[in-house]
Amino acid sequence: MSRSIIHLNIADFAVAVENNIQPSLKGYPLVIAPLGKPRAVVYDMSDEAYKEGIRKGMALARAKRINKKIKILPPSFNRYEQVMKDLLKETFAFTPLIESGISDGHIFLDVTGSGRLFGPSVDVAFKLKKAFKKTFNFDPIWAVATNKLVAKVATRVVKPVGEYIVAPGDEKAFLAPLPLNLLPGIIKKDLTKLFEFNLFFISQARALTLEQLKILFNYRAPLLYDWIRGIDPTPVTTIYNYKNHSIGKNLSIIRSDHEFSDDTNNADLLKRALYLMVETICKTLRNRRLTGGATKIILYYSDGLQSASKLKLVPSTSNDMAMFKKCIPLLNKAWTRRVRIRHMRLICEKLCQGAIQADLFSAGTKETKQTELILAMDKIHEKFGKNSIRAGLTLTLHKDRHQ
Amino acid sequence: MTKEFCQANHLFVGTSGYSYGEWIDSGFYPSGTHSSNMLDFYTQTFHATELNYTWYQMPKAPAIERMCTKVPKNFKFAAKLTRTMTHEIKKGQWAKEVMLYRQGIEPLIQHQKLLCILIQLPPYFKRSITFRNYLAALLDELAGLPVAVEFRHDSWANDKVFSELERRKVTLVSVDEPDLPDLFPRLDVITNPDLFYIRFHGRNSKGWRSGNMQKQFDYDYAHWELAKWAATIKTAMMQNTAGGGIFFNNHVRGQAPKNALHLIDLLLKDHHHQKT
Repeated sequence: MSRSIIHLNIADFAVAVENNIQPSLKGYPLVIAPLGKPRAVVYDMSDEAYKEGIRKGMALARAKRINKKIKILPPSFNRYEQVMKDLLKETFAFTPLIESGISDGHIFLDVTGSGRLFGPSVDVAFKLKKAFKKTFNFDPIWAVATNKLVAKVATRVVKPVGEYIVAPGDEKAFLAPLPLNLLPGIIKKDLTKLFEFNLFFISQARALTLEQLKILFNYRAPLLYDWIRGIDPTPVTTIYNYKNHSIGKNLSIIRSDHEFSDDTNNADLLKRALYLMVETICKTLRNRRLTGGATKIILYYSDGLQSASKLKLVPSTSNDMAMFKKCIPLLNKAWTRRVRIRHMRLICEKLCQGAIQADLFSAGTKETKQTELILAMDKIHEKFGKNSIRAGLTLTLHKDRHQ
Repeated sequence: MTKEFCQANHLFVGTSGYSYGEWIDSGFYPSGTHSSNMLDFYTQTFHATELNYTWYQMPKAPAIERMCTKVPKNFKFAAKLTRTMTHEIKKGQWAKEVMLYRQGIEPLIQHQKLLCILIQLPPYFKRSITFRNYLAALLDELAGLPVAVEFRHDSWANDKVFSELERRKVTLVSVDEPDLPDLFPRLDVITNPDLFYIRFHGRNSKGWRSGNMQKQFDYDYAHWELAKWAATIKTAMMQNTAGGGIFFNNHVRGQAPKNALHLIDLLLKDHHHQKT
């Protein structure tokens, strides 16, 4: 039996959230972008602003030139995340298999196994749409298909409002007449190459064999070959802890955030903040007797843009010092712009069970000594409080806010 | 034999929708059936179905076209009218929706696959002046197409309504649903000599207003309930019309196809009995 995947998409999510707070903004061109920043870029914009030619990532100064009277609001990332969490709570009633971004208004649900409880997937999607409208005053676009790729394309086809049901077996025919840029995962570089060969539509790209695609795209060719045929076996990846509906307290990832009191590009400050976050994450890992197998750093710049970098931790660890050592080059890799940084996020993924039994013949290596030190610090923290003993690197960070 | 009997009597018996994963567990579809192959298997047993998805989404001609090419020659679809014309009517917009709907189902007409358009009205659609005027206007817009109307409120169980439907040659849908206050009663009134139409929703009083389809339509018809209907169909309905559509909506756990086949058996038995 094929899968039943629902994709819900609240178009222009940040704008939709702001519109709910200030309904008087509805129907007017609106841009979400950091205010008072010389090189700020557009984070999100309303459909009206889009129609005027304003795009995401466009310099705010240029957007202002397009429409001098345009309303600009600063982004409220925390608010968007909170709304997203509230939306997810609503979806948990139908399936535990939910995938979503942190604050982008996109939610995928795999309802293949819950049909016996809640009925056909189309009905579940429709109910969710109604619930979102009633509870949150959002009007999401929804699509039902047999995989995430086709469901996402379907919502893109009907954006900004509507619904699309792609019948099982109809994926190939549904995609055929659509332009290639509607396919999620195809990057600008891929499109440029395809356009060079006068291939603009999915049906045209299908004329290429896998071998021909390999000449153009090398190792990405098999992926592209499948995508243009509507094949996407990737599962709906569950990210959140459904019990808590919380990203920070989640079972499959651990996250820590740091908001700088003043936007900064001071390397020392960033490193100190990073150490604090590593400490928090490793403490959680140790409490849960887990180790982290991968870390990801996301930097949020003052102009609204983000950059990220990811690293696999081999071996997996819950040791503050070992993880910090690995995260330093990761920070440098993620830090690709000169613009000052407002917010930093560290995510620890691929959690696995830590060693239950200590090595019988372990030598007194640097790592074991570090582990002993950290465990001793944990005990002091438990007895005398978090600030009783701290790593020297973090001492000057009292001015900043640590979440 | 079943198919021959139905074809000879212009009877289109089937279920409301055909793509249900749980019908694999119930044994109607072979184990491991992919959703994309369900229609193929379905057409081996029945030669009509209701298109449920057109209620959720405006039908799109290319998708309907593809569907038409997948079914046998004598197969028919009853297409539900989209919710924007029944449940979420927007003043000033619905007429445009009718036009889009007509365009969407055009392939069904071209391929002679349209049994009728099913207008399923919500329980709050009471017989008020506003709704009467709307229904009249909607039927005007759908003029020229075979149409069946299903009421969910008993205020429409009125001779004036029946005679107006008769004048328009619009089929009144006979509904089998629980005996609950305000629900449209079980009737066998014929308003269109071309077509009668019966929808079996199941008689699950407890689950009917639960808001969960799996509870609402969880019902297994007893032999006597279907036997009573078989007698009514033979005497009151088949004899007064050129043909009919009979659809089971109690899809939960594969009860719909099971009950549909049972009803065909009962009709077939009566038929043999009369012959001998």
